[in-house]
Amino acid sequence: MRNGGRGERASLRRAAGAVLSESAGKKETMELEDGEEALGGGERVISVSSSDSGSEGDEVAALPADTTSPRGNKASTPRKSSTPGERRRRTIYIAGRPPWYDSHGQIAEAFVIGLAGGSASGKTTVARRIIESLGVPWVSLLSMDSFYKALTPEQNKKAAENEYNFDRPDAFDMDLLVETLQKLKEGKHVEIPIYDFSTHAHAKYKHTMYGANVVVFEGIMAFCHAPLLKLMDLKIFVDTDSDIRLARRLRRDIAERGRDLEGVLKQYNKFVKPAFHQFIQPTMQYADIVVPRGGQNRVAVQLIVEHVKDQLKQRGFNNRPKLLAGQRETEALPDSVHILPNKPQVKAMHTVIRNKETKRDDFVFFTNRLACLAMEYAHSFLPFQDVAVITPQGDEYSGKRFNGKLCGVSIMRAGEVLEPALLSVCKEATIGKILIQTNETTDEPALHFLRLPSDISQRHVILMDATIATGAAAIMAIRILLDHDVPQENIIFVTMLAARLGIQTLAYSFPHVRIITTAVDPKVSRDYHILPGVGNYGDRYFGTEPD
Amino acid sequence: MWGNPPAVLRVCPCGRSMSNSSDTSSPVVSSHVSLCDEGEDGAAEDDGSWAKNGAGDAMLEQLKVLEPSDRVRELQTILRDSTTSRGDFIFYADRLIRVMVEEGLNCLPSYKRTVITPTGHEYEGEWFEKWNCAVSILRSGEAMEKGLRECCRSMRIGKILIRRDQDTKLPRVYYAKFPPQVDKRQILLLHPVLESGATAKEALNILKEHGVREEKIHIISLFATPRGVHKLLKDYPKITILTSEVHPCSPSHFGMTYFGSD
Repeated sequence: MRNGGRGERASLRRAAGAVLSESAGKKETMELEDGEEALGGGERVISVSSSDSGSEGDEVAALPADTTSPRGNKASTPRKSSTPGERRRRTIYIAGRPPWYDSHGQIAEAFVIGLAGGSASGKTTVARRIIESLGVPWVSLLSMDSFYKALTPEQNKKAAENEYNFDRPDAFDMDLLVETLQKLKEGKHVEIPIYDFSTHAHAKYKHTMYGANVVVFEGIMAFCHAPLLKLMDLKIFVDTDSDIRLARRLRRDIAERGRDLEGVLKQYNKFVKPAFHQFIQPTMQYADIVVPRGGQNRVAVQLIVEHVKDQLKQRGFNNRPKLLAGQRETEALPDSVHILPNKPQVKAMHTVIRNKETKRDDFVFFTNRLACLAMEYAHSFLPFQDVAVITPQGDEYSGKRFNGKLCGVSIMRAGEVLEPALLSVCKEATIGKILIQTNETTDEPALHFLRLPSDISQRHVILMDATIATGAAAIMAIRILLDHDVPQENIIFVTMLAARLGIQTLAYSFPHVRIITTAVDPKVSRDYHILPGVGNYGDRYFGTEPD
Repeated sequence: MWGNPPAVLRVCPCGRSMSNSSDTSSPVVSSHVSLCDEGEDGAAEDDGSWAKNGAGDAMLEQLKVLEPSDRVRELQTILRDSTTSRGDFIFYADRLIRVMVEEGLNCLPSYKRTVITPTGHEYEGEWFEKWNCAVSILRSGEAMEKGLRECCRSMRIGKILIRRDQDTKLPRVYYAKFPPQVDKRQILLLHPVLESGATAKEALNILKEHGVREEKIHIISLFATPRGVHKLLKDYPKITILTSEVHPCSPSHFGMTYFGSD
């Protein structure tokens, strides 16, 4: 408690201002750690910082620099991971998600860390410490609390009287939990139920959580279900003295959840304590590491972090140089690649857009014209059905119709240059967005933002990007669509210009995805430019090139 | 994208409905080209003359039909469907017009041109000669002008108004206005529906009167009938006709639906 005042200051500062830069974020993290050194200091931070929000689910760290407060208010704020764009006041735009698959777009499994331990043992603190120290940009935190079963009215009544037993494995929906964790491990996105502790029911809405490179899963009964254990790569048991746990629990339930001492103690003696001895403590034997004293145990956390970092390195995600090394100029293009027939008009349009002297007016005009041709051509690859119609002249005409649902997904920013063309061919197309930017230091693509139609798995998807150089961003985008259960057969990738290398990589990685381009260039330079190329497409189209 | 003309012109010996594109895309070895026409009499006549006429093959070379694809067939289906709303009709007509205009522009003469890309490398491209223009046959031809403008922002456009004479019932030129030195230019003649060929014939006559040579004229149409194509190519064997479909049933409602007038 001796440093409680500092913790409070730090959190007040956090409450007052948005954390807008990475450096600021890191600084805050340090201060927070300072302030928390005393046992329980964090609790004071909690109560203050909870006033700064109204943004539910901020709790989940998706970033190392994430300075989210350690709110213990689990009851009303089930955790979620969300896409950066949905989050306010975050440093997230600085570091996107790096590739989570190998150079052929195949999934590398996420590293799953399981955290178990008694109620109020400090699992969350340990989880947060690990995430902060890991320095891995894309981490999801999944809490077992979200998976409580909804209660019947009768059970609900019991719960109000502290007679309902939440502390046993069958209070949780284990099947859903296993399924969810499995999908997260595979890098897919999942829907996390929202459990409302006041009504003991599931909310209508669910949180969407995206796959991550590291998934931290925590809960009192995390090790109580064998199929769950199998999914974990590292199992940590947080072992905190039972007196300390009871003290924390009393404070949390009385101060934050407005319950009375009597009721809390009753529940503790009747359910929590026996459950710990019956279900939780025995699972310590499954742990790879036991962390005594919870979150304060910095040595333990450091050891764990070193181990995880080591594991991640072995899985190695560094694709672009690998892709570049695979440059083969002579090899034929796979069948799934379709190049717009190289007619005089197509050539002429390329002559304009490739010319460095071309003004933006002409560049935009000819881009749109060429994109329309590309989009018309791409439509040839949709599945059409036979139909018969009656003409105004009274004759029957046997024709074709496309009856499926279509949507476009553009890879921001340059992919947006194809959107007008899509709308000129399909006037009601739904459009989703994926923001992928190249990380300046690693030269790897990074996912920053994602907004896709909710029924995308039922749709034919026209994925758009202006150029394919190494294919790294395209692979990431297709991987995202596959993670959203869009079959490869339903994806048509449309691009203005592709390098032979990138289009080959893409086609070999995803043999059933159709790839449409208006031209293929022979080379990619060492700094990942297409040669002869077209320059920076987005900059030239949107007029953001430096003077 | 142009189909081999004999393969494309393998149009239904059956009569009214046309075979699906999946059939038409299958290789056709037969050298016999059968064309059917609206009326059975006409069909016999056309069929015979086409097959007997030694110039048949040469005429086919002047007819370029868009390679059949499901996507184009869908556009044709929507435009021919009597239940299509006018909003949809215009949207899909514009799409088909755009496709045909882009194809038509490929007929214009071009030359090699090398440019330097922003990466400092050379790109060997192509550019188009000057001296082109479009001429639209009013009224339905004007529907194609928007599509043309979307591709060529400043191309000169001449106009010809042709209507049926009240007394003789024959098409007659009421108005014609061409860009200067029209005889020096390549001409894209915009004529969405080539039915009997009578209107187009009048237009070709007046262009000829202005000194335009046949080989410089490229008719861009969306729909053509075998009858109309045959009639034109018989009298003007050196012109080029582009169309998306050769089918005996002509969507004669095109202009009226597009402009919304009865």
